[in-house]
Amino acid sequence: MSTQLDEYLEAEIQSLLTDGRIAELGITVHRREHQLVLGGEVESPLRRDEICRQINSRFPDVEIVCDIGITRADAPSEVEEIS
Amino acid sequence: MIRIAAVGDVHVDKDVLGRFRPALEELPDRADVLLVAGDLTRHGTVEEARCFATEFGGLGVPVVTVLGNHDHQSDLQSRVTEVLTESGITVLEGDATVLELHGHRLGVAGVKGFGGGFAGACASNFGEREMKDFVGTTEVVARKLQDALLSVQADALVALTHYAPVPDTLLGEPLEIYPFLGCYQLGRAIDAAPTALALHGHAHHGAERGRTPGGVPVRNVAHPVIKQAYNVYQLLSEDVDLELVAT
Repeated sequence: MSTQLDEYLEAEIQSLLTDGRIAELGITVHRREHQLVLGGEVESPLRRDEICRQINSRFPDVEIVCDIGITRADAPSEVEEIS
Repeated sequence: MIRIAAVGDVHVDKDVLGRFRPALEELPDRADVLLVAGDLTRHGTVEEARCFATEFGGLGVPVVTVLGNHDHQSDLQSRVTEVLTESGITVLEGDATVLELHGHRLGVAGVKGFGGGFAGACASNFGEREMKDFVGTTEVVARKLQDALLSVQADALVALTHYAPVPDTLLGEPLEIYPFLGCYQLGRAIDAAPTALALHGHAHHGAERGRTPGGVPVRNVAHPVIKQAYNVYQLLSEDVDLELVAT
């Protein structure tokens, strides 16, 4: 039986990302037709790849689209004056 | 003039080592101090705390932090604090530090903070013991922040928390989770003192700018919000470098 793409699956994936060794609380999960779209940003490509790997491993029949970005870490070019 | 660099939610582990360092090496040319608004690590392990100290320590400017909820995940927050302190990083939790910078005294009072929600949609100290414990924690933590802020004599006073003191900087987050992102009691504590600036993290999908009901500027410096290694804020400006000030 194939995995239902429903709210319970979304909740299970959020729980997997939160409770496991990934510890990412800021990943969004949206259902788009027969796919699950992951969004948000993480601190390294390794973490992004690990998120997709863990979801694929737990739900092998679910098609994942990974839109997770890596947060930039450049020095700022501006200063804000607080008054 | 004092320039404060700030960031939060950097979630350092081995895989992040070296990502921030190039920008941090430039920090002493851009700011006088670095404040980090919690979630220094992923799971709050000692090893991750060492990674944070390696990445964010030894900058040539003072580094002052609070812990975040991630730094409590392994129940090792005391050891995490020790590792950071041994590396020369100041960790605040219900206390304050005063830094002498260019002849000015910068006071920083910090606390991790806690959830609870905001006016009209907040948890109350009523009912089950678990709920009273939850809100009781919120109130104790906010009182610690207020006491710390009021204990400081400084030319400029900054409140540093992980949880948000106002809902303004949560815009973009689902409304349903606001009570887990911050509480009005922190804002009230900040307004009870002559605070010049309040910095927090935790809300990765939130907005950068807000104000407390008392008018104190609030900035959400969570790394996914500011999208750079740190922001720089200028206080006590006598001479503003117009080329660097954002319009």
